[in-house]
Amino acid sequence: MLRWKYSRPLLGLLILITAIGPAIHLGFLAEPGMQQTLAVAFLYGALALTYDLLFGFTGLLSFGHAVFFASGMYLTAIFVNSAHMSLFPAAAIAIFITSLLATAVGAASLRTTGITFAMVTLAFGEAGHIIISRNFGNFTNGENGLALNADRVPSFFLGVANTRYLFWLALSVLAITYFAIWWVTQSSAGKVFQALRDNEVRASVLGLNPFVYKLLAFMIAGTLASIVGCAMLVISGSASPRFASAETTIALLLMVILGGAVTRWGAVIGGILYSLASTRLQDFSKIATQHHIPKVLSGPLSEPAFTLGLIFILIVMFAPGGLSGAYYRLRQSYFAKKSRKAETE
Amino acid sequence: MDTFVLISITGVGLGALYFLVASGLSLIYGLMGVLNFAHGTFLVVGAFVGLWMSTQVFHTNSTFAFIVSMIVGGIGAGIFALIMEQLLITRLYNRHIDQALVTVGVALVVGAVLGGWFTNDLRLLPTPPWFINTVTIGKAFIPVDRFLYILTALALLGIFVGILKFTRIGLIIRAGVENRTMVTALGINVKRAFSAVFFLGGFAAGVGGVLIAAYQGGVTPLMAGSWLIYGFIVVVIGGMGSIGGSAVAALLIGITKQFVNYYIPGLGDFVVVILLVAVLLVRPQGLFGKVSA
Amino acid sequence: MSVLSLKDVHVYIQGSHVLRGVTFEIPSNKVTALLGRNGVGKSTTLKAIMGLRQSTGEITLDGKSIHGKPTYQIVRTGIGYVPEDREIFSMLSVKDNLNIAVRDSEPNFDLVYSLFPELKTRTAQRAGTLSGGQQQMVAISRALLNRNQILLIDEPTKGLAPKLVTEVAESLARVAGESTMLLVEQNLALVKRVAEHILIMDQGKIIFQGEPSHLEDADFVHSMLGVGGRHN
Ligand SMILES: Nc1ncnc2c1ncn2[C@@H]1O[C@H](COP(=O)(O)OP(=O)(O)OP(=O)(O)O)[C@@H](O)[C@H]1O
Ligand SMILES: [Mg+2]
Repeated sequence: MLRWKYSRPLLGLLILITAIGPAIHLGFLAEPGMQQTLAVAFLYGALALTYDLLFGFTGLLSFGHAVFFASGMYLTAIFVNSAHMSLFPAAAIAIFITSLLATAVGAASLRTTGITFAMVTLAFGEAGHIIISRNFGNFTNGENGLALNADRVPSFFLGVANTRYLFWLALSVLAITYFAIWWVTQSSAGKVFQALRDNEVRASVLGLNPFVYKLLAFMIAGTLASIVGCAMLVISGSASPRFASAETTIALLLMVILGGAVTRWGAVIGGILYSLASTRLQDFSKIATQHHIPKVLSGPLSEPAFTLGLIFILIVMFAPGGLSGAYYRLRQSYFAKKSRKAETE
Repeated sequence: MDTFVLISITGVGLGALYFLVASGLSLIYGLMGVLNFAHGTFLVVGAFVGLWMSTQVFHTNSTFAFIVSMIVGGIGAGIFALIMEQLLITRLYNRHIDQALVTVGVALVVGAVLGGWFTNDLRLLPTPPWFINTVTIGKAFIPVDRFLYILTALALLGIFVGILKFTRIGLIIRAGVENRTMVTALGINVKRAFSAVFFLGGFAAGVGGVLIAAYQGGVTPLMAGSWLIYGFIVVVIGGMGSIGGSAVAALLIGITKQFVNYYIPGLGDFVVVILLVAVLLVRPQGLFGKVSA
Repeated sequence: MSVLSLKDVHVYIQGSHVLRGVTFEIPSNKVTALLGRNGVGKSTTLKAIMGLRQSTGEITLDGKSIHGKPTYQIVRTGIGYVPEDREIFSMLSVKDNLNIAVRDSEPNFDLVYSLFPELKTRTAQRAGTLSGGQQQMVAISRALLNRNQILLIDEPTKGLAPKLVTEVAESLARVAGESTMLLVEQNLALVKRVAEHILIMDQGKIIFQGEPSHLEDADFVHSMLGVGGRHN
């Protein structure tokens, strides 16, 4: 599709700046704190992109997607801590098991469609969340979360001085996810996903089995989410039940809507901005308190959810297509103007 | 036997609370196709209005004060629901995904506003002194407050059924759940029914919010979390748009959860979720839902 | 004197141009039949009049524009609509199905029950359990309860057994005398019996207007409607 053409230079630029930044000690990017924040933001960008494959490209409104993210995290942590495996083999097995899990959950939920599908996935997601937070079988350490045993993590991922490697890890995972999703959505199977989203009846008339393709999308999205989960485990050092909750999936939905679905880079930008906003809006609100803003306002402003929710409502009401949609609209009117000008000259 | 009675009645009490949350959710979805993620917010708003009424207006924990606070809480939540519907939902006419998304936004914003104003700490809701009493049935000691929950839910079920069965707006709602387009093609402004349903749904959730606050000991902006999810589960099991279905499913889930939790502590939630998956895979439209075309 | 008039009405559905400039007038106190092969846009025309499909062009009822108004307001100006697939409320009783359609202060239940005595004995039955023919009776009754300027009736005999077709045809003929009606129908025998004016549609346009007597001409029928015209 055409859109790749536009987004390629933009994304390339972003990757270039951020990748080289820490290496050459470029300003704020040299601070480990900032590197860590950005690393987390990149991973959310990648995760939002996996959700875009489901929701945007295939039209599957799943409320259980976060569970596969969490499953990547927890399984890796469990294999490292309890089975005394080293990080990379543990992650590989965790990703493999999650892909099986996603296939099983997908096969069951995709027997339903529409809102019922949303509810079944919500239920599966809650089931996963409950298993993790109630610590069934004593694997997950319940509400306290599960810290990754640092002894088995390669030393270059440890310590403040090495934060830049975490940064690069996150960036590579984002790039890998991006190219994987780009490849999937450009492939012939990806075209079928979109045809199914637009008109399932017509697509099945062509002799395609909707179930198989939707399951494929579900499985790919879940597997990619677990890869992001493994990276998140390394970067944050521990897994926590909140990563499996429906709130996390809803956050992914917000990210995709914020950036705009089906454009790929929209979801990435949405995820990055959302993540940065949730961590940085608090600092912003401290300023608001200092400047004698009345308490009626400063209270809500100190909650990132207030600003995010408001922006979200405004986007849904007035700017469908999110940031990327707005960008394309601007571009279009700019070129329309230009061509009109060319005609008159 | 005594534990059986105890668990059954507390299960029914819990089911009563679920019903209050689920009934509005079910009607709103059934009639308008709106998956209302702000329903938990209705509950919280109701609880806060009830708290305000009971502490700022009454200054007493008499039974009368509690009941009035509960009703005012319901009305407050109903008005809030109506405002949300008029301001946001009606402008996204028939864009169901966007409508659901906007309700997610409302839940975030209102949660943040309440958190910013009142903090997320638990605020004690005054309850009548007899709430902590127990009555003995057989040899089981049953907490008395559960009977209030059950009675309130029954009263609201009665009101809902009364409105649906015996009023014109109820007739329009029942018909609209099945085929909204045809209702308008008979010359009826179905939007009035939408507003009525939002108000009623908000009212039930608000009343539920005050009772849930009493059940949990107090009010906080975060109190809706799992209740909303349970609301969804009840609605889906009972069948979207069916009030009777919601009532049956709420009972089923309340009782199941209590029994499982008694024998295997902590597993109640899990079993309920599995129950949901099982029902949906066998009967995607829920126990009493219409088969969608 | 025309009651309803359409001028250059266009409708697009999912990008395809379904109505391509429909123009016609419906004379008052007559039955006008709208004919055409399957999928040419007959039902879409009725839906456009009802405001159930977005359209461009002019639509006036009794000289006043109804185009672009919400459906319920269009209906209140005096339209009775019987949709193609009956669309009765299957979970509601027969009584409720009729009650919900009432707009007038004095709904004409006598007419309905005299046309369809069967319904009177089944007021409490759930409409979803009625037979196809009985469901069609309910759908027609909903349109007859109120005083309307015009009735829009879409294939009332579709999918009915021959005996029921006759029964529905009888009742339509009885109503036909005193009302203005736009009737979409594939059953030519029924059309010849009740219609005083015919419109033929092809590919989203009206291609013929005139007397029903043309339908006696087999070549005309064949060229206008293909072999699809049913004879019974
Ligand atoms: N909801 C829809 N989505 C897509 N296409 C539609 C839709 N409704 C109608 N159409 C198309 O519009 C065209 C006209 O349909 P319409 O129902 O008006 O035909 P009709 O003349 O009533 O045919 P019939 O005699 O079979 O009832 C058809 O080609 C149909 O496929
Ligand atoms: Mg038709």
